[in-house]
Amino acid sequence: MAVPGDGVGGFCKHHAQQGVCDSRAKYREGRRPRAVKVYTVNLESRYLLIQGVPALGVMKELVQQFALYGAIEEYNALDEYPAEQFTEVYLIKFQKLQSARIAKRKMDERSFFGSLLHVCYAPEFETVQETREKLQDRRKYIAKATSNRVLFIAKKIQEPKKTASKNLERCFQPETLGVSAADASTSNWDPSARCPYPYKPSCEFSSRNTACPSGDHFQSAMAFPQYVNNSAETSEYNSQSKPLTNSAQERGRTNSPVSLVLQRKVPSDNGIGRFMPRTTQLQERKRKRDQSNQIAFIGTDSDSSEIIIGPRLPEIPKVDMDDDSLNTSASLIRNKLNKVSVTVPKTSGEKPEDSQTKPPIKQRRRI
Amino acid sequence: MSQKQQDPLDLGRLEYLQALVTEFQVTESLEAKEQVLANLANFAYDPKNYEYLRQLQVLDLFLDMLTEDNETLVEFAVGGLCNLCLDKTNKDYILAADGVAPVINCLSSSNEETVMSAVTTLMYLTMPQSRQQTTALPVVECMLRFSLSANRRLSNLAKVFLEDYCSPEQVEEARNLSKHTAVGIPLPKD
Repeated sequence: MAVPGDGVGGFCKHHAQQGVCDSRAKYREGRRPRAVKVYTVNLESRYLLIQGVPALGVMKELVQQFALYGAIEEYNALDEYPAEQFTEVYLIKFQKLQSARIAKRKMDERSFFGSLLHVCYAPEFETVQETREKLQDRRKYIAKATSNRVLFIAKKIQEPKKTASKNLERCFQPETLGVSAADASTSNWDPSARCPYPYKPSCEFSSRNTACPSGDHFQSAMAFPQYVNNSAETSEYNSQSKPLTNSAQERGRTNSPVSLVLQRKVPSDNGIGRFMPRTTQLQERKRKRDQSNQIAFIGTDSDSSEIIIGPRLPEIPKVDMDDDSLNTSASLIRNKLNKVSVTVPKTSGEKPEDSQTKPPIKQRRRI
Repeated sequence: MSQKQQDPLDLGRLEYLQALVTEFQVTESLEAKEQVLANLANFAYDPKNYEYLRQLQVLDLFLDMLTEDNETLVEFAVGGLCNLCLDKTNKDYILAADGVAPVINCLSSSNEETVMSAVTTLMYLTMPQSRQQTTALPVVECMLRFSLSANRRLSNLAKVFLEDYCSPEQVEEARNLSKHTAVGIPLPKD
């Protein structure tokens, strides 16, 4: 690099705050104006560089503010870093990458003691080992996310279709309770034997170890004329001959989770407004998801002294959905979950019938 | 990173991605192309989107952009590949589409982000069946030089590559070779 002072502590190109893009087409404008930038695992880091901190001796407050997003391992002022007049530059090292990501997202462009902070990643401060671990963590995350996705889609096929999309969101949570990733990868599923899916009664789903079948999407997506065909003609990237169709023919399966999703669009279209959650509920669930994702991703609970092996199972949130039918559906699912979690350990005398005749205390409604 | 989706948003997402791909194909504005490509590359970070991206053949789009003259397009495309190449299906697809060669070519880019994304992509694409290609002698040689770079990020990545993905014999061979010949892959300048 020809940039003077490059390397540790020097000014790097990726620290510079790029101008916001103002020429985006309307449909792809986000909520906040953003620059045109691609984030990869290389760019992200546990180290955050904070520029624009007013030189008022506010380091303690700054660190306290950032500590809200996760445990901080180290922090220090970077005196040699070029800074605007009356501002300082700080380096904060988080314990976890996820905390750094959230902190950056929340604190970038935030006002702090009257000055706008500019927060960016500072991967050049990493040691070789830290870089190595970062790459490994990304690898593990993808492996886990992909295997969970297989689980999620398999579960989607199993559960009887309800009119509310929220119910599917609830359904997803218990799969971490009762089903292990190993099951999905080693067994062959035949969902049609359990609950025939109302819109696609015969589904064949033989699972693979990691990713979802991709070729089928293309094949079965083509079979859904009004929605996909147009887009298949116009928007699919056509510069090469389609290898996907070949692979789809090879595999010869008919199921596609995407086509299931597409087919479901038609009936739920009318009721969509009814099922849209309020913003607060959405945020609450998002917060809980982030928490459980964090814990699941990391595998140990940093808050308690207890070491948990493997991901902690998220608790089932009980949210009132302001609608009787939704609440009853949710209760039904909760009942089922409790049944599954009760029958799975299968201790001495506990029978499934017991849990049916004597429902868990918290359940009040049954279908 | 959430794996819990609401179905209406899922459909919106597929539509949205389709719209992006369509715009990319149709637009004549270079700026718009760059924006859309960056958008797609960022979507490629989240495994939730992989099915859609495969369905829309965005992987081919990324691979094709690697040979463009425009540095920004290359940077975003290889960044996108770096983001999604860890997924097994995507990995197989890229290898089957002979995607390793254009990624190796990116190592000689003058754009540091491009080079770093390429190094990481090669790491992630290294499997028994692709190892010969991803850790070929010119590549190892290149990594050796990167490991001496003043750019800490690059040298870190190169060191991880050499230590974790190459055998000591490979490194030794490359070291010996570089003593004798002038290497053809220049360091990125920025």
